[in-house]
Amino acid sequence: MRSKAIMAAALTVAAALALGACSSPAADSGDDKEIVLWHMEGTPNRVAAFEAMADKYNETDPEYTVTVQVQDWDQVYSKIAAAAQSGKQPDILFAIPDFATYVRGIGLGQPVTDVVDALDEEYGLIDAAKAPYLDEDDYWAVPLYGMVQMLWYRADMLAAAGIEPPQTWSELRAAAEALTTDGTSGIALPAGKNLATDQVLYSLMITGGAADFFTEDGEVNLDTPETVAAFDLYKELLKFSPTDSASYAWGEPQAAFNSGAAAMSIEKGQYLAPFAEESGQDPSQLGCAPIPVADQGGEPGSIYYSNGAMVLSDDEAKEAAAGEFLSWLIEPENYGDFLNAEPGLFLPVTTDGANLEQWRSNETVSTYATCVDAMLEQSASGELFGFVDGQYIDSIGEISGQNFLAQAIQQMYVNGMSAEEAAAWAQEQMQMAIS
Amino acid sequence: MSNSVTSRPAALANSRQRRPGAAAPSARRQPLSERLLGYGLIAPIVIVMAVVIVFPVVNAVVTSFQDQRVIGSPSDFVGFDTYAKILGDNAFWEALGRSGIWLVANMAVQTVLAFATALLLQRRGWWSRTARTWIVLPWVIPTVAVAVIWQWLLNSNYGIVHQLLGGIGIDIGSPFGDSAVAFFAVILVNSWHWFPLSAVVIYGALSTVPGEVLEAAKVDGAGAWRTFWAVTFPILAPVLFALGLVGSLWSFNVLDTIYLITGGGPVDSTTTMPVYVYDTAFSAFRSSQAAAASVLTVIVLAAAALLFVRFARPKED
Repeated sequence: MRSKAIMAAALTVAAALALGACSSPAADSGDDKEIVLWHMEGTPNRVAAFEAMADKYNETDPEYTVTVQVQDWDQVYSKIAAAAQSGKQPDILFAIPDFATYVRGIGLGQPVTDVVDALDEEYGLIDAAKAPYLDEDDYWAVPLYGMVQMLWYRADMLAAAGIEPPQTWSELRAAAEALTTDGTSGIALPAGKNLATDQVLYSLMITGGAADFFTEDGEVNLDTPETVAAFDLYKELLKFSPTDSASYAWGEPQAAFNSGAAAMSIEKGQYLAPFAEESGQDPSQLGCAPIPVADQGGEPGSIYYSNGAMVLSDDEAKEAAAGEFLSWLIEPENYGDFLNAEPGLFLPVTTDGANLEQWRSNETVSTYATCVDAMLEQSASGELFGFVDGQYIDSIGEISGQNFLAQAIQQMYVNGMSAEEAAAWAQEQMQMAIS
Repeated sequence: MSNSVTSRPAALANSRQRRPGAAAPSARRQPLSERLLGYGLIAPIVIVMAVVIVFPVVNAVVTSFQDQRVIGSPSDFVGFDTYAKILGDNAFWEALGRSGIWLVANMAVQTVLAFATALLLQRRGWWSRTARTWIVLPWVIPTVAVAVIWQWLLNSNYGIVHQLLGGIGIDIGSPFGDSAVAFFAVILVNSWHWFPLSAVVIYGALSTVPGEVLEAAKVDGAGAWRTFWAVTFPILAPVLFALGLVGSLWSFNVLDTIYLITGGGPVDSTTTMPVYVYDTAFSAFRSSQAAAASVLTVIVLAAAALLFVRFARPKED
């Protein structure tokens, strides 16, 4: 009997120890020489490229080695919140400007002004890339690579229809209609409740003069004639998009485009690399053009944003080590390889990055050099909602997180709302979200 | 023949009569060391349950009385204000209604499919033996793969179902992109995913129906329908009851299938209660409202489960 009592006590202790083992050891940065990096670039080639960059850095024998962990964009909002609650956040977190406002809202993020200023002085950072991370006189992320949208078109289809690449909204609408046949949609647009739809619509809002939908006081000012016009154009274009566009996000329009089921699409540079293989066409059949501009009162532009890296560690030594790693990534001898994680999609954020031999010699970048140059040019006039002309809307993360622009599109496309009604509806929803 | 049928309830009755009387003296005789051993053995699971179930539940209830927005952000105690907001939100009631339809429709479709499959599996033949193995295939496929498979099958550009039906002049439109049919399309996908589990359970239960009883019913002149309702169904009732209770709760809480296929759209047409709670917490960043919706959902589910137990529990005689 005594032995059973001892066994019971031993089991209880074992259980306690097992549970104790589930919790992490007390934080001791002195022994912890690892920097954990979270990114959300989950496609296999990007995962491999990011890990290769970390390995290359670790081979330089730094005091702190870098460990890369992949997260999903759809999950990272909840994961980083949970991590913040438990104090287990990564040391470096890749972000885009609106996500950065969310991360700061949950109490994470250290200023990286010194790092950004040093990189700016050394390599010249593009204003559009760094500005969205500036708030309260500090930078909150180190810009690493930019993304911009273009109008992609199948040159062979446009040529067969005798159509020139559209430059204005009316030309875009006419082209979409003319290119729509029994087996082909004139254009493939996303209309799902997702960021893809938000972004394509926003590109058209920019070229329609509705880039800034906030007042100086940070109030929502979406319900304007310019926004209504952009909504109306999107609704019109969806008539020439595949019938299941309401469930489209990033991949579906590209699949339709590459399969020849659609003649045009609006997206970022991820269209370059897989085009020839997936479409079976010569690369010359992939055409690109700036986002068409409104016939009246329009201005050139496109959605553009830089992906940056936030430093979340509040340990001084780790902060410094994270800054060293991020600076190392931007160094010319490494930056080209980093951008080639997704050639054509990842654009340099440094003024001299466009001429990096490592990047320029990449097969995709060199094959589609004309489109790459066009994207770089388009970047100069790029905008991002919530950060137009030096804005910094703290609550933009709550608006973009709920995809109100995309929801407005769905209200028109699925529920039959007019553009005016949809703009008023989205205005009300956005206002409620930040109130 | 009759012995085998009557002896089971008799044995069960005996065991029921014995159980209370047998347990009490045993407990009285149990020495302290044995009781300690018992406590020691269950301690790990009790601790784990407390950590992974009790703490989150208590935390959710506490959060529901606050005004927390982003998870982990500072918040104040606001009493029942958050509940009032939720109860005044049309989207909450719409999601609850959709969840009700989701639960009933899934249960109906899965029960019909499962019963039909189980009855077919009972038949003799090589195809039946083969099907017993392969029928579970939809169930073992990961949900994410199920979502991708059906999205591919029904895609309007390259979906094989679309192409095949289009070839004979039938246009199915876009089942996941049309708010009028998306909800039922997702119900069918979810039922396709889960019905094999019910089919296997029902098939197992069917195999316990004594052949002698069926033969006796046949001898007494009962037809197939009468035999099913008067003999087979009562024997299956306890299994169907358990399956209905557990399956309904599982089904109600399905989030992954819906989220992966439609994300709750188009225009919220597939937003059930779990999707509503998830979106409220992680898209709208209203943690307290999501917690309040969760608490209300638990209350509704508990009430539904009690009613189910009260009215659907098979009689023990």
